[in-house]
Amino acid sequence: MKIVACIKYSLDASEVKVDAASKELKMAGVPFKVGVIDKHVLETAVSLQEANGGTVHAITVGPAKAKESFREALAFGLEDVTLIENPLEGQVAPDVTAVILAAAIKKLGNVDVVVCGEVSDDGFTYQVPPRLAEALNMPQVSFVRTVAVENGQLVADRDLEDSVQTVTASLPALISVMEESNTPRRPTLLEAMKAKKKPVNIWNVEADLGLSIAELQQKAALEKVHAEGVVVHRKQQIIKGDDLNALSNELVDLLLADHVIEGGA
Amino acid sequence: MSGILVYSEKQQLICEMLGKARQAADKVAAVVLGESVPDYAGALGAWGADVVYTVSSPLLVGLNPESFTDALAGVIEQVKPDLVLVGATKSGLEISARVAARVGAGVASFCVDFSLDEGSVTADCMIYSGVGKNTYKIKTKPAMATVNPAVFTPVETGGAAEVTAVNVPINPPALKIIEYKEKAAAGAKWEDAPMIVDVGQGMRSKDDLVIAEALAALFDGQVACSRPVSSERDWFPEWLGLSGKRVHADLTITLGISGSIQHVVGIRDSKIIVAINNDENAGIFSQADYGVVADLHEFVPVFTAALKTRSAKLA
Repeated sequence: MKIVACIKYSLDASEVKVDAASKELKMAGVPFKVGVIDKHVLETAVSLQEANGGTVHAITVGPAKAKESFREALAFGLEDVTLIENPLEGQVAPDVTAVILAAAIKKLGNVDVVVCGEVSDDGFTYQVPPRLAEALNMPQVSFVRTVAVENGQLVADRDLEDSVQTVTASLPALISVMEESNTPRRPTLLEAMKAKKKPVNIWNVEADLGLSIAELQQKAALEKVHAEGVVVHRKQQIIKGDDLNALSNELVDLLLADHVIEGGA
Repeated sequence: MSGILVYSEKQQLICEMLGKARQAADKVAAVVLGESVPDYAGALGAWGADVVYTVSSPLLVGLNPESFTDALAGVIEQVKPDLVLVGATKSGLEISARVAARVGAGVASFCVDFSLDEGSVTADCMIYSGVGKNTYKIKTKPAMATVNPAVFTPVETGGAAEVTAVNVPINPPALKIIEYKEKAAAGAKWEDAPMIVDVGQGMRSKDDLVIAEALAALFDGQVACSRPVSSERDWFPEWLGLSGKRVHADLTITLGISGSIQHVVGIRDSKIIVAINNDENAGIFSQADYGVVADLHEFVPVFTAALKTRSAKLA
């Protein structure tokens, strides 16, 4: 069985701060790393491989400088990571990412299961997995909690707002997993050492995938015309001390002054 | 048609999106998809739809993504709207992106405002899980956008809609639903509560929820929670935050919430936020009006008693 895990070198969105005066997003120095959700993706892919045999390959679209960031991913037990160099400026848009990933998965050939995260840590659009399933003409199971392959077909629990559904799908199929789907393993030192010998292949969209950069540019359907931080003004008044009665009365005073509650007792 | 087409499997979300669509465009239509046409289809006219397109098929069950994609893409190809708004439920997120790939549309995710000017769509979207907001021009026709619940407000127009059945091909799906387990209803709606007590992982045990409930009860409020308290501890069927519900309470009191942006997005439309956490460095304190550095298990009962003593209305 050939399993592909789609992962992403993501910006740590929790480190993005906003300048309260100018509303500017402070992007300088915000770190990038392989996403938190991607550990759940890798755990799912490797668990499927352990249960069914075969190989796991990770693919990603990003900058070539991310190459060394995939050592921990390789230590999960992957054959290799293929890093397709982002051909466009800045963050790659979900419509473009899906086209590139689809071309790479077709080139890998004979893929049985594609595993994605429900949403990337930074893009947060939820668009790539369904777009990729459409491009590959595969059934998709989104928001997966549990997954197995039984009798040559995928069996998964899909977690929606109002229901949990057990579904089956013919292979090849694409799944997107939730962060609740598993607890990712922590690779051992030995696995980390072995991973150093495994390759991170770098592919070029034109040379390796036969895509046109000009056409990919055309596919990016959204043009950003403005960006700003969301500034929420809060009083940020801290009260502390050992006397809980005093603290309580102080908080009641503040809520009375704000007319959130009425006095008179 | 030029104008806006609205889709969600949730009636409330359809009405919310119609409310905004009606202000933005001359022609507004809704789509309803299902095994049969729901009773409310015609009534959407009163909330701003000129036309309600319906597709009914035995394959449109259980929110099967393949069947619902076929149906929505089929309607879009026949109706040819300028903009398609899709409610950002899990199913909506899933099928909107797949439909977009099929019809060649760009999608503005988690749209909070938009304008439609002679067929050209500009949309404001939340980015970095709510830290910022990007404005995009969407270069495709149709343009698409996903919209969270409670972003827009329904407006009753008292109009009437023409209900039109649309015939679209739906292929037998490769995904088959073999067991459907309905989740327990969440009880009262958090979105409508005047006051919220928001419980995080700092609360030690489910038995301690009684102190949160006693506090909420003073205000006719509701007890809600963060994602791990729901998804890992299973204390509640749903959670507050970017991937969950968003509340607009007059007062939200957080108990043992650390304050990740993904969670704060769910409560930041509250008028007043009070945070109670024993960690003085918790991020939630910079997102709150009043922060109490204390053990919530000890503080909350004392605070609840003080409220009863000092406020006639709460006594």
